[in-house]
Amino acid sequence: MGQNERVPSLLLIEDDDAIRTALELSLTRQGHRVATAASGEDGLKLLREQRPDLIVLDVMLPGIDGFEVCRRIRRTDQLPIILLTARSDDIDVVVGLESGADDYVVKPVQGRVLDARIRAVLRRGERESNDAASFGSLVIDRSAMTVTKNGEDLQLTPTELRLLLELSRRPGQALSRQQLLRLVWEHDYLGDSRLVDACVQRLRAKVEDVPSSPTLIRTVRGVGYRLDAPQ
Amino acid sequence: MTQAHQGGAHGWTGARKGALSRLRFTSLRLRLVVVFGLVALTAAVSASGIAYWLNREAVLTRTQDAVLRDFEQEMQNRAGALPERPTQDELQHTAGQMAGSDQRFSVLLVGRDTEGRTVYGSSGGLNGFSLQDVPKSLRTAVNRTQKVDGANKHPYHLYWQRIVDHDTPYLVAGTRVIGGGPTGYMLKSLEPEAKDLNSLAWSLGIATGLALIGSALLAQAAATTVLKPVQRLGVAARRLGEGKLDTRLRVSGTDELADLSRTFNYAAEALEKRVEDMAARDEASRRFVADMSHELRTPLTAITAVTEILEEELEAETGSMDPMIEPAVRLVVSETRRLNDLVENLMEVTRFDAGTARLVLDDVDIADQITACIDARAWLDAVELDAERGLHARLDPRRLDVILANLIGNALKHGGSPVRVSVREADDSIVIEVQDHGPGIPEDVLPHVFDRFYKASASRPRSEGSGLGLSIALENAHIHGGEITAANSPDSGAVFTLRLPRGTSPAEEEQPAEDGLTPGSDTDRPQGEDTKGDA
Repeated sequence: MGQNERVPSLLLIEDDDAIRTALELSLTRQGHRVATAASGEDGLKLLREQRPDLIVLDVMLPGIDGFEVCRRIRRTDQLPIILLTARSDDIDVVVGLESGADDYVVKPVQGRVLDARIRAVLRRGERESNDAASFGSLVIDRSAMTVTKNGEDLQLTPTELRLLLELSRRPGQALSRQQLLRLVWEHDYLGDSRLVDACVQRLRAKVEDVPSSPTLIRTVRGVGYRLDAPQ
Repeated sequence: MTQAHQGGAHGWTGARKGALSRLRFTSLRLRLVVVFGLVALTAAVSASGIAYWLNREAVLTRTQDAVLRDFEQEMQNRAGALPERPTQDELQHTAGQMAGSDQRFSVLLVGRDTEGRTVYGSSGGLNGFSLQDVPKSLRTAVNRTQKVDGANKHPYHLYWQRIVDHDTPYLVAGTRVIGGGPTGYMLKSLEPEAKDLNSLAWSLGIATGLALIGSALLAQAAATTVLKPVQRLGVAARRLGEGKLDTRLRVSGTDELADLSRTFNYAAEALEKRVEDMAARDEASRRFVADMSHELRTPLTAITAVTEILEEELEAETGSMDPMIEPAVRLVVSETRRLNDLVENLMEVTRFDAGTARLVLDDVDIADQITACIDARAWLDAVELDAERGLHARLDPRRLDVILANLIGNALKHGGSPVRVSVREADDSIVIEVQDHGPGIPEDVLPHVFDRFYKASASRPRSEGSGLGLSIALENAHIHGGEITAANSPDSGAVFTLRLPRGTSPAEEEQPAEDGLTPGSDTDRPQGEDTKGDA
């Protein structure tokens, strides 16, 4: 994401020919560069060759499924993933978010909605102001878009980074899940609050000393989350 | 016959229904006891009656024969020895002698003395046995002279009669000495015999009573052996009725009740199998709908994605599309959207049917949520909202949105604007009323408004909705533990009332800002020295 004007490149992993073709058509018309793969294995191979900016990943895939693909990508890569799920059964959404997806859309998805989600995710990686803030051992450099803990670089996905930035911009102030959904995910008023919870869990795993008893990102019951500077 | 049978069955059911606590006169147990009792009573009474009667006759006859024989003997021996015209003293003396026999009877001798006066000799003195004690009929019979012929050798006979005086039975007998002598009467108390017979009667009565009790017990036992299985059958039938289709009876023996139990078991088995079949078929059809809507999604996803391209083409500057094709494209676009909604709703319904629907709870400001819902659908002009901000509830915002969108959308479609939405608090729940100003809902439609695909009439034009909207709204309310009711307003229009429990209120859990102690599931603890140092 070096240049701002670059056409974002996407990798679409979808096994159904018709959906793959149609979504490719639609996304291309929206101005994306789209590479496609029909299986998780092909997708992972293509990912290594092409380095796309974002992955749109179907959950139901022959061979290794979408969740597993998501997990494998997350082991090495922080690039944004949007899950495409035909099953909006709630358990699938939870599993998808736990395996590291940044967002999800439910089939039959409208191309415009998918495009909006893609753009929102991509925007998260954009840099903004140029100051730095430190919370205990955690240092957030807003100009370099890096986060270090005890001097070590942390590998955060754009969504995790954006969540941390939004929280760090209002230290000591509780933000509701709905607020965070609007700020980070740019969802409308019906955003799924589990996106926030899942992302907070992942973020805690990376920034907290003891993720199970967080000192930085705290839960404010009945409201949402708050970033505290340790005293 | 049939009618009588039905009437009986009806009466039985009625009595069964009516009284569990009070005694049932039609109960089988009571009937059995009564019948057993009657049989026992008849048998015991007739047996003891006959026994008593025979005994009585035997005892009395034996005593009587002995007494009369004795009396006759005494009359012959003693009274016969008297002169034809005895004196009072002689009579008295003889009577005393006669009474002294083993049988202990009183004797009265009546004769005429030489002066022709009637003289009496009584064994018990003048206060004892007198002529008044002898019935007139007996006296007449004794004193009547009978013709002597071949068949009857004597002019006088011995006559006897049983009398009761002051509750004591007596045997009275009298005879004349043939050839002119005094007339003799004797009185014998039968009290000992009566006592014996009385005690016999008592014994027989007690025996009858015991027989009755025994029969009642037997009847109870019989009733129990009959009714126990009947009762078990009843319990089993009730369990079966309650839906426990695996209910079976233990069959023992080969009697009619065992037959009945076996029949019951067959029936229960058949019923269970049938219900299983139906449930399986129902399950299969539900799964079919679920699978089908899943399957529909795949092509629909592709179609939807492409339809948007067509739509953009339509919205582009004129001339880019053939005017002949344009209506066709528009139709495809709009119907695809409808198909999308329908499939979406079908999916939602199947999730409710399968029980896989889950709540994603969040703390929501109700007024904000309603405003957002109305705003997102561009209904702001058509809806009057009467709600104050700051009313929070813990619920699933997406599901609340589905409910609101369906209720308000339905009101706008059928009732017409303005639609009035009001929110108020009631106890621990939030009540949202959606009222339109249309003609209201016909009374016969009212109970069915939440039915799936319910059409008020076949002639009614096909509505824009999927026919699932209100049903989905209701399911969404139910999963929250809430309820939706439909009614007609007294003024005009229909009123849908949504009632949702508030859940835990977030207001009092608002965290203190500065002290760093946050109430929460994950307890926060300040950690580490270096953290402190850095801050």
